[in-house]
Amino acid sequence: MMAKKNRKKGQAKFPVPVPLVAFLLVMVGFALVYVCLHSRTETLGREIRGLEASRDRLRDQLVREQCEWAKMQSPSSLEQALKSHGLVMTWPGRDQIVRVRYDGSLDTLHGGYESRPSARVARNNRIVMND
Amino acid sequence: MTEPRGSTRFVVIVILLGLAMAVLVGRLAYLHLGGGDNSQATAAKKRTFTQTLTVPRGRILEGSPAAGILALNVGVKDIWVDPSLLITSNRVGTTLTCLAPLIPMDMPDVLSRVNKSNSQYAVIARYISAEKADAVAKLKLPGVHTSDSSIRSYPQNMLLCHVLGFANSEGVGSSGLELSMEKLLKGSPGLIESRLDGRRREMVERRTLEIPSKSGADVVLTIDQNLQYILEKSIDSAMERNRAKAAFAIMERVQTGEILAMVSRPGFDPNKFREAKDQQKLNRAIGYVYEPGSTFKVSVIAAALNEGIVTPDQIFDTENGRWLYMGKVLRDYHSYPKLSVADILKKSSNIGAAKIAIMLGDARMDRYLRSFGIGSKLGLDLPGEEGGILSPVLKWSAISSSRIAIGQGVAVTGLQMLGILCAIANDGALMKPYLVKEVIADDGTVLLRRQPQVISRPIRPETAALMRRLLARVCEEGGTGIKARVDGFSVGGKTGTAQKPIAGHYSETDYMASFVGFLPADKPEIGMIIVFDEPQPLHTGGAVSAPVFGEVAEQAVRYLGLTPTETVAPMSRTVRPDAGPGETF
Repeated sequence: MMAKKNRKKGQAKFPVPVPLVAFLLVMVGFALVYVCLHSRTETLGREIRGLEASRDRLRDQLVREQCEWAKMQSPSSLEQALKSHGLVMTWPGRDQIVRVRYDGSLDTLHGGYESRPSARVARNNRIVMND
Repeated sequence: MTEPRGSTRFVVIVILLGLAMAVLVGRLAYLHLGGGDNSQATAAKKRTFTQTLTVPRGRILEGSPAAGILALNVGVKDIWVDPSLLITSNRVGTTLTCLAPLIPMDMPDVLSRVNKSNSQYAVIARYISAEKADAVAKLKLPGVHTSDSSIRSYPQNMLLCHVLGFANSEGVGSSGLELSMEKLLKGSPGLIESRLDGRRREMVERRTLEIPSKSGADVVLTIDQNLQYILEKSIDSAMERNRAKAAFAIMERVQTGEILAMVSRPGFDPNKFREAKDQQKLNRAIGYVYEPGSTFKVSVIAAALNEGIVTPDQIFDTENGRWLYMGKVLRDYHSYPKLSVADILKKSSNIGAAKIAIMLGDARMDRYLRSFGIGSKLGLDLPGEEGGILSPVLKWSAISSSRIAIGQGVAVTGLQMLGILCAIANDGALMKPYLVKEVIADDGTVLLRRQPQVISRPIRPETAALMRRLLARVCEEGGTGIKARVDGFSVGGKTGTAQKPIAGHYSETDYMASFVGFLPADKPEIGMIIVFDEPQPLHTGGAVSAPVFGEVAEQAVRYLGLTPTETVAPMSRTVRPDAGPGETF
């Protein structure tokens, strides 16, 4: 007599082929990675947009500040500011100016007095050096 | 019985759903496989986003170490409304009432623009600051929007207005350096092509094209704003004091041709260029030709000395102030019986200068004058420069040379007149004047750097040195330019008081008063011309312009750190004891 077929054993077997499941899982994995990457890209895009807007805003602000600074630095503004504080500035008289002439004796190691950075700054800013 | 009916219903539902799905899948496939080209194109068009990146115009900077900003673009906002929305929702009145305290509006004008129900865009306020625009945005008024814009700003207001010029509402240079440097200042706009999401926001990750904008280059001038201010202030004050109709002045570095300051009055505020009249916009220093009068004697005497026709000690009969030549009378302002060439210049004798010109001859005189840059533009980097008027020598009459020698029958610009003196100050080399020192791109690349350029060498260095000594005498005791003196420095220069030609005759009441000179006379650094148009009641160059020269020069030498020099060695010849300061035409 033939052995009776075990129906329960047959029902417990996974009905979908394993390769298909594996394929689907890989696809789902890819989809998830895609969604994650897409989401991340979108976030970065928004950040870039925000940073660009921020850069533009800061650039505008910088220009406005430069404009204000230029106004404040203008000779007429400085003169008005002095006047408002009751300050009177006059050019020094001839007897108040001491001119120190360079006689070449300091021209020793590194190209001399003129090559010193502080001397260049002083000359450019037209200030009297005391260092 | 119920079981088969239920399963039939299930099958029907499944079939219907399947059909619906099939239709959807079919439609999807149809669209994806290009079946709906038009729809695709329309959708793509709707989702495509193209933005032109506006670029700020380059700045204009002054030439001192502080590199003060003279012109720059500032970001501002425009406020605009959607008239159709406001009208349909009956909110015109309330919206404008809310906005009125925040932004300046010309209400009748705004109402005329807003009351257009078929329009969806009407600007109600331009060039609003970002703070005010933010305040408007916070109100969250329906149908009210802001948009970015920019405006050319001149922080120093009127200072250097004629040199800078202005850029119009579209940001295009329309006069002055803004016009001449347009190509370098304007830069090139960028472009972005991208996609929009469902909320019509740009999807940065879908950008298909991004061309960055290239900012305009910065233009650095030779002008020093402090010297400019000193000059403008003195000119303004002298104009008021002398009730002059107009004035102009230029300061130049003689060895290079760099323009350190340039003033023209009346002036205007380039921030409000629309309000300025044409008369105010004219840069008289380069765009106004005038008969120079006695200052022109310098060129003729320099030519005669260079040719060796005369010597400084040579005595001329100055006819006691009245000389009949070719049927025409020529007069001196002060009469002298005889004068040396040196004193002809010092006392500004018309008769003496005319006789020297006749000795020089028409052809040689013409050649020298043209070599000094008269009759042609010097090539300054500003639009509107005039070349002056010097007729071809073939058209000269018998008395032309005698009149041109005293600055009549010839017309020059202030820049040309200064050029003659600067050439003498620069050992006879006429330098090309320039205002733009360098042009620097946004990335720091130097696009242009100007070098001094010699236009011509009308006289020899020895003649120039001799002329400097002669011109220094003009500003000594007994000379017409004594008021131009600067303590500690020898000044060389020449006064001029020219009658204005009006309707074919020389006016007896209207004059051009001028002084042109340089200092220190023995080793010149700066040259300057000061000219006043119709000053009243004083009208001579020595009384009106020379003091302004002295006032400005005194501050300029200290600002530039020039070392006081010894007085130029006096000429061997002594001045006649009876000679007084004189002023001639």
